[in-house]
Amino acid sequence: MTDFLNYLILGLTRGSMYALIALGYTLVYGVLQLINFAHSEVFMSGAFGSYIVIHAVVGDGKSLPWWGVPFVFILGLGSGAITGAVIAWSLERVAYRPLRRRGAPKLAFLISAIGMSFFLSQLAGKMFNRFTNNQFPPYFQQNREILSIGGASLTVIQATLIVTAVVMMIFLDRLVSGTKLGRSIRGVAEDAPTAALMGINIDKTISRTFIIGGALGGAAGFLFGTAFAFSNIMGFLPGVKAFAAAVLGGIGNIRGAMIGGLLLGVVENLVPTAPWNGHAWIGIGWTDVVAFVVLVLVLVVRPSGILGERLGRAA
Amino acid sequence: MRTRSLAKIAVVGIAGVLALSACSNSKTNNGGLAGNSSGGSSAPAGGGTYTIAFEGPLSGDNQQLGINEVNAAELAIKQANAKGDLGFTLKLLKADDVGDPSKAPAAAAQVLQDNTVMGVIGPSFSGATKAVGQTYGDAGLAMITPSASNGTLQTLGFKTFHRIIPNDNVEGTQGADWLARKGLKKVFVVDDQSDYGKGVADAVDKELKAKGVAVTRQGVDAKTTDYGAIAQSVKSSGAGALFYGGYDAQAALFAKALKAVNYTGITAGGNGVKSSVFTKGAGAAGNGWYFTCGCLDATIAANAKQFTTDYTAAYNTPPSTYSPEAFDATNALIQAIKDAKSKGSVTKATVLTAVNAIDYQGITTEVKFGSDGEPAGATTVSLYTQKNGQIVSVGLLKDQN
Repeated sequence: MTDFLNYLILGLTRGSMYALIALGYTLVYGVLQLINFAHSEVFMSGAFGSYIVIHAVVGDGKSLPWWGVPFVFILGLGSGAITGAVIAWSLERVAYRPLRRRGAPKLAFLISAIGMSFFLSQLAGKMFNRFTNNQFPPYFQQNREILSIGGASLTVIQATLIVTAVVMMIFLDRLVSGTKLGRSIRGVAEDAPTAALMGINIDKTISRTFIIGGALGGAAGFLFGTAFAFSNIMGFLPGVKAFAAAVLGGIGNIRGAMIGGLLLGVVENLVPTAPWNGHAWIGIGWTDVVAFVVLVLVLVVRPSGILGERLGRAA
Repeated sequence: MRTRSLAKIAVVGIAGVLALSACSNSKTNNGGLAGNSSGGSSAPAGGGTYTIAFEGPLSGDNQQLGINEVNAAELAIKQANAKGDLGFTLKLLKADDVGDPSKAPAAAAQVLQDNTVMGVIGPSFSGATKAVGQTYGDAGLAMITPSASNGTLQTLGFKTFHRIIPNDNVEGTQGADWLARKGLKKVFVVDDQSDYGKGVADAVDKELKAKGVAVTRQGVDAKTTDYGAIAQSVKSSGAGALFYGGYDAQAALFAKALKAVNYTGITAGGNGVKSSVFTKGAGAAGNGWYFTCGCLDATIAANAKQFTTDYTAAYNTPPSTYSPEAFDATNALIQAIKDAKSKGSVTKATVLTAVNAIDYQGITTEVKFGSDGEPAGATTVSLYTQKNGQIVSVGLLKDQN
C-alpha cells in the first residue's frame, strides 16, 4: 500500500507536468487544427530562460533568507513563462503565420513545426551545452518531506509541482471559459471566418493563443528542471508524452488535456512498477511502451479521446 | 591573376609529384612538403610526420572522459616530439564521436581519410568501438582503446583491436565478489541499456547469482531525467546494495533520486560513473558512492607522479579517469611506430605488427597484448569512493572486505 501511494505521488507529479505541456498542444490544435511539434522546445526554452535569470539573481543559491525561496521560485516560474511565451509567439510569427497567409496545406505546417523543433533544440545545445543533467542552484531543500500519507511521503517539490500545475490549469480553464479573450479564442476555434465577421481579430487571437500556451509550457519547463534536470533535448520525450496526453483526453479540449496528462503520468508510474515491492512484473524499462499501449487502447475504444474535442464550445 | 594561377599550377604539380612518389597525399596532410610520411629517402632530415588519431567523445554528455584521454594522448605526443630522438615528427588528429555509436563511423571516416595516421587511440566507448571496429580492422589500422571495457569486444573478430584495461567481465566479477563479501542477501542491479552499462551490469548480476545473492534487475532508458520511480523501487525492494551500470551524467541524477527517497544501502557504479561530472552533478547525494574501475589513480600511484605533474602543468587540472591509460596507450603506439621504423618502414601494416608484438612498461601496467587484443595480465581493478565531493581511492578491489 505504501509503495502504491509512493508511486501514485510520483505519477501525479510527472502527470501534472504532462498536463501543463499538453495544454499548449491542445490550445493550438483547438484553434488552428495544427499540431505544434515545436511546443516541446518551448518547454525546453522555459527551463533555460529561468536558469539564466535564477543564476543571475541568486548565484549558487546557498544563502537565501526564508522569503528568498518563494521569491526565487516565483521568479523562476515567471521567467520560464515569459521565455516560453516569447519563443511561442516568435514561432507563430516565423514558422506558421507566413504559411497561413499563403494558405499552405496542413502538411507544410507540420514540417515547419518539426523543423523549428530541431532548430531550437540544436540551437540551445550550441548556445548552452549538451549535458543532460543541468540543474538549478539548490536554493531550497526540495526533498524535505512535508506530509506522510499511509507511510508514503510527499516532498516539497512534489507538492509544489502538483499544486502549481493545478493552479495554472484552473486559471487557464477560467480564462478560456470566462473572459473576452477566451471567448474570441473559442470563436476562432469554432469557425474562424465567422469569428472574423463578428469583429474578432484572428491574427491577434492566434498570437495570444500561442502566448498563453507558450507561457504554460515555459513554466512547466522550469518546474520540470527544478524537479529533475534540464537539457537541450529535454523537450522531446515529455513533449511526445504530453501530445499523447492531449490526444488521450481529447485533443482541443482543455480539461481533457489535464485528465489525459495526469492519467498518463499515473499509469506509466504504476503499471511498470507493479506489484510495488521492488519486484516489478514488467519493469521500469517498459515505461514508455506501457504509456503508449494505454494510449492506443483508449483510442481504440474511444477515438475522440476521453472527453472528446470541444474547444469551440464553452469549456 | 597570372601569378596566382601560376602558383596554383605549381602547388598542384608539387602535390601530384608527392602523391606519386609517396602514395600518401591527402587533404588533411597539412605537413606539406616537410611532413610527407612514407616517402623514405625523399623525406628531409626531419624523417617525416606520422599522425596518431584519437577517437572519443570531445563534445556532448560524456565529453569529460574524452577530454581526460585526449589531453593525455596529446601530452604523450608532445613529450615524444620534445625529446627529439624519434627521427620523425608526431601529430595528433582528434576525431569526435560524441561517444555515440551512430556518430562513430563518421569519426572513423575522418581518421581513415588521413593517410599519415598510423594508429588510433580509442574509441573511448564500447558502443562506438563496436560500431567501427570492423572499419578500422578492414583498413588495417591499429587501434588501442584506453577505456572501452565491454567484455565481448575481443570476441567480435576485429582484426586490429587492442585494449589496455581489464574488461567489464573482470571488473564486474570482482565488484560482485566484493558486494558478496559484505554478506548482502539482495542486490538491486540497474543498467542504462548501453553496450557498456549492460555489459558490466550483466557481469555483476551473473557473479552475484553464482555467489547465492538474490538480484533484482531493471533497465532504465539512458535519456531519462526522472529517476524517481526506479529509486523508489530500489528502496522498496529492501536490497542491501545498488549497482548501476551506466555513465556519469545519468548516475548523478540517479544518486539524487536515491537520496530523495532516503535509500541507505550501499550504492556503487562501474568505471563509467567515476568522474567529476558525477561528483559535480550529484553533489552531496554522491557522497558514499563506490566506483569499481580497472583504472589507476594517477594522483597517488608512485610511478605516475611525473605524469601527474606534467599533465597538471599542461592542462591546469589533475589527470582524471583513464588519463594515465590513454597516456600509456599513446606511448605504446609511439613505441610501436619507433619499432616499425627501426625495422625499415613505417606503414599501417608494420605498425600493426609492432603493436601486436609490443612489450612496453607504462605507468599503469605493462602494455602487452594477447592474440585477441586483450591486455595480457591486466587484472587489477580498483575501488574508489566519493568523499566530501571528491573521488578518492580506496585500494585494490580484491583487498576489500
